[in-house]
Amino acid sequence: MVDVNGAEYEREVDARRLLIHFVRDDLGLTGSHIGCDTGNCGACSMIVDGTLVKSCMMLAVQADGARIETVEGLAENGELSGLQQAFSDKHALQCGYCTPGMLMSATALLRSNPNPSEEEVRKGIQGNICRCTGYVNIVEAIKSMGEAS
Amino acid sequence: MTETVAPPKPLVVEEGKPQKGWIGQNVPRKEDKRLVQGEGVFFDDIRRHEMGYVHFVRSPYAHARIKSVDVSKALELKEVYGTLTGDEVAILTDPFFELSIPPGAHMKDYALAVGRVRFVGEPVAAVVASTRELARDAAELIEVDYEPLTPLVDARKAQDDDAPILHEEAGSNVVWEGVFDWGDFDAAVAEADHVVKIKELHFDRFSSTPLECSGCLVEYNRGTGQWTMYCNHQMPGVGAIWMAPALRVGIDKLRFVTQDIGGAFGNKICLHPYFVACCLLARKLNRAVQWTEWRTDQHTANAHGNERWFQEIEVPVKSDGTMLGFKVKAVDDCGAFPRYEPLGCIIWAQVTPGCYRWRNIRVDFTQVTTNKSPVSPNRGYSRMQHLWFTERVVDIVASELGLDPVEVRKRNYVKHEEFPYETPNGCVYDSGDYARCLDIALELVGYDSIDERRAEAESRGKLLGVGIGSTLDSGTNNFGQSTLLNPDLQFSGNNEVATVKLDIFGEIVVTLGTVPQGQGHETTAAQVVSDILGCTPDDVNVRPGHDTYWNSHAGLSGTYASQFAVTGLGAVKGAADMLAGEMKKLASVVLGCTPDDVELAEGRARLKANPEVALPFMALGAILNANNAGLPEDLEITLNCRYMYRPYFELPDKERKFGNLTLTYATQIHACVVEIDPETGVYEIVDYAAVDDCGVRIHPQIVEGQVHGATAQALGAATHETFPYDEDGNLLTPNFYDYHVPHALDMPPMKTGYIESASPFTPLGAKGMGEGGGAGIHAVCAALQNALQSRGKPIVTDSCNPYHRIWSLLRDPDASREGLEVTAS
Amino acid sequence: MLLREVEYARPASVGDAVRLLSSNDGARALAGGQTLINVMKARAASPDVLVDLQDLDELRGIELAADGTLTIGAMVTYTDVIESAEARARPILGEVCAQIADVQVRNRGTIGGNVCSNDPTNHLPPLMVALGATMQIAGTEGDRSVPADEFFLGVYTTAAGPGELLTNISIPAGRDDGFASVPIGKDGTCIVNAAASLGGGALRVAIGCVDAVPVVVEPTSDDDETVRSAVRDARLDPPDDVHASADYRRHLAEVLAVRAVEHARTRGS
Repeated sequence: MVDVNGAEYEREVDARRLLIHFVRDDLGLTGSHIGCDTGNCGACSMIVDGTLVKSCMMLAVQADGARIETVEGLAENGELSGLQQAFSDKHALQCGYCTPGMLMSATALLRSNPNPSEEEVRKGIQGNICRCTGYVNIVEAIKSMGEAS
Repeated sequence: MTETVAPPKPLVVEEGKPQKGWIGQNVPRKEDKRLVQGEGVFFDDIRRHEMGYVHFVRSPYAHARIKSVDVSKALELKEVYGTLTGDEVAILTDPFFELSIPPGAHMKDYALAVGRVRFVGEPVAAVVASTRELARDAAELIEVDYEPLTPLVDARKAQDDDAPILHEEAGSNVVWEGVFDWGDFDAAVAEADHVVKIKELHFDRFSSTPLECSGCLVEYNRGTGQWTMYCNHQMPGVGAIWMAPALRVGIDKLRFVTQDIGGAFGNKICLHPYFVACCLLARKLNRAVQWTEWRTDQHTANAHGNERWFQEIEVPVKSDGTMLGFKVKAVDDCGAFPRYEPLGCIIWAQVTPGCYRWRNIRVDFTQVTTNKSPVSPNRGYSRMQHLWFTERVVDIVASELGLDPVEVRKRNYVKHEEFPYETPNGCVYDSGDYARCLDIALELVGYDSIDERRAEAESRGKLLGVGIGSTLDSGTNNFGQSTLLNPDLQFSGNNEVATVKLDIFGEIVVTLGTVPQGQGHETTAAQVVSDILGCTPDDVNVRPGHDTYWNSHAGLSGTYASQFAVTGLGAVKGAADMLAGEMKKLASVVLGCTPDDVELAEGRARLKANPEVALPFMALGAILNANNAGLPEDLEITLNCRYMYRPYFELPDKERKFGNLTLTYATQIHACVVEIDPETGVYEIVDYAAVDDCGVRIHPQIVEGQVHGATAQALGAATHETFPYDEDGNLLTPNFYDYHVPHALDMPPMKTGYIESASPFTPLGAKGMGEGGGAGIHAVCAALQNALQSRGKPIVTDSCNPYHRIWSLLRDPDASREGLEVTAS
Repeated sequence: MLLREVEYARPASVGDAVRLLSSNDGARALAGGQTLINVMKARAASPDVLVDLQDLDELRGIELAADGTLTIGAMVTYTDVIESAEARARPILGEVCAQIADVQVRNRGTIGGNVCSNDPTNHLPPLMVALGATMQIAGTEGDRSVPADEFFLGVYTTAAGPGELLTNISIPAGRDDGFASVPIGKDGTCIVNAAASLGGGALRVAIGCVDAVPVVVEPTSDDDETVRSAVRDARLDPPDDVHASADYRRHLAEVLAVRAVEHARTRGS
């Protein structure tokens, strides 16, 4: 049983099923993505019980009873969150594939550090690979959330 | 360690002619709303009831004969739906057509290995099962018996007498060879004061490794024989050209549907072998099948960028640094199967002299196969390799002659007054101002104070160096250049299609032929349309992605070769102009005036003389589509306007290999400052500037994003990203663990600058852009060489310089200088 | 990317965990999963049973004793170490943990996992050896202690054998420690690393990435030349791979040993 973005799901899973495949294939929440097979790219990043993790390195069964937050939970009733809007305003996404994971890493960072420095932002998204943007605008977008707060 | 400094705002030095309207503005991107909510639709997000998951069995050998393939144990597993082997493929399909002339023409290429495997990871068989995990399990039960053969992993040995031959039918590892000879090289040598000779330079294999891997979900309609592929193929026009004859069906039986694609950068052009295997499976098993490539598969068995050796280089120069020409022998390694690659033998000629005015050029070009991953047009495709070569040459020449690399460049750059400039092989560089871009780049990295910085770095025990990388991003190909490769090829010119229509309720709908992968096509198309139709981008609906069924594409449709701003937007402009004309015609009939009396503004068609008299778009749409009694019989309009943009090109002269090969030439000039720790060879990029000139910028923020991203990829390629193989043909960097791409902390502080030299040849004065970032590789190489000057003047001969290579250069600078000669002429 | 079939158990106590591990040859302990899950994705190893240690709160403690000994539970994550007030008694611990990969990995990856996986490029094995740590291992026959320099036996192999579980690591009091590395990219995998500790007048240096297990070098004094000479005398035989040749690793080992010692030396001032 898991709570994902406030909704409860109950499923039977094979022990070998990875959490990312469970969320994408079994729950149909395809916002979180897969970009690699060695836990390096961070496209699968989600927040589990308040902790930012790469869900490709967790078994679904390990999340039994957990509260999971994915990109689908960031907007409220179709209204973009401040962070999502900042990403769009600053052109912090191009193809959008790394974006969900990036947003979750940024969310986790801003929760523990509401006004991060440039270095702290980069450290906070070090686990998220982007091939399109060179990270410049992503860092700007996240920093802009700090200055605003 | 340096502090991370926030990059300053980009420096915009000169804007082109001021554009009224939406072009030139940073309109919010239409794509963003769905992407930031995780509501994009990438192919792996799509499900079909009871679909089967495909897993490929892949070769563990770089070169081997296949003695047998036994799928029986896999088929015994419950919920395994079926398999496909090379034997079946050889019966059911014809080999993919080859671009090259013999010997390349005789190489056979199928969807699965037939009889032989030629690179580690090559797909040998496929199995389909009800879950991903089960398909993987079943794949382990497929038994393949191999007889290993000697692999060939060094392209320079491909023509040795004892080299293993990969394709017996070709009888040779040579795909293509040709000589390019323009001007008079021997006369240039006679005129020169010196000839600089460089033994060998090497452009390493790497790729832009898009974060989303390749894949498709294929459905087969038995009744109509129609395949539908939900996928991320970035050039469906060419995909279909390969697949249809192989599958022995008409092109219209292949429907490509894409929506969102997680980056492609040229690595999603040669997916046809995998797609054919999936098409065969969908038909054989009578169910939808889904294939997702894994990261390791992408690195080992999809596509790499060209690896190229430049040998026996000779550069005649005058004492003042004027470069008169060059001669080089180029050996291009295209991996196990040529596919798109033979075009790489010609495409570099779009930028034969690079940014420079040398007129006497001779290139001996040979492309060979090796037992490595096939190659595909990775970002910068073939031009980048050649431009890296020209930049290395300029830098080495300047260094050996004791000349200032900035002065040498300015002396030899094509001058601003000389545009449009015809190169020695007939390509026309449309516009630019290279010296100006260079000045801006140097200012952004504080070039004037480099000596102080060098001294300061030295006081900390570090070696500081500065380097320049100049590059051109040639965009919008003339496919006629393919006839220089193979005179029998029936490709020339270029085209792109777009459709703009006005619906019944006054909605404007745009359908593109291109295949966006994050470049903002929906947004920029809306900008162009709204300027023409007098509305706002919010009023313009652009369908996301690509769909063959929209019938709004052409034979060469796709997103590649830095051309969307020209071809894609050219088509959009043409279609919007057509629609505007029709709307005015219809309005004139309704309002009782002439079309010239009508203007489109604020979402209405109104009388110029009396704007109160107006028809909202909804009225126009409704009248024609639903309420058209009484309209004149001779009013030939549809309000559904499909337009094909065709840039004007002629066939090049095959004899002289002469003619215009590309329509536009964007410029990127980069400057880079590095600090090397001489004790370890570890280095850091401490300052960086990229200056871009892509003509009129439709959406400056998008242009800037491309500059950032391309630069990041170049920096990765310059520092750690490389695909080396061991002597058995195993790829040593098969995933992101060993293949290190830049992460956020790896990026240097990056400054950008822009000028706009409008292109005289394009509908909007814009040029295609996005591949110019290769300049980063050139700049880093130059900076490293500059930093090492005081340590025995080693020269940088490789495009990728990980720490161990720097350490080798420090330890033994003479080794890199072997064969380097400056002779009096 | 897709694991083989496996059974899953989630014991509530160390005793249960040890029973599960010892009753099944193919059982492996699952700590943070940042290494093991990847190994299983690649199908390089496929345990029959995964014994998930997630619920073993008794392995998550960080205790600072009155005599300055720091005892860290095996399931303590890198992030826990970085954020722990107690662990600041030995600052090198947090500093090194902060260099490992990225936030996501640090949030799940554990001290126990890092030392027990004993990948030659890991950060903690050489650090634990330099600090003179002691590993506490639980087995069916009770608990035993193993000093760090006897704990690491071979590539991916440690003294915590089949059926046993590392429960905690104790680190003696001290502060003059240093660490130096050359990673591939910032916070990336190490090409060579070195940890140094100056304690009670004795200098201990442990070099990683150059052999199956950390190589210990004990220079007689902390000046650069003596340290270099001691490393040379160790006659290292490092591997050749895509990131570095054996020669290059040998060279880096000398340089990094000196830098780690300098880091340790200057910490006192």
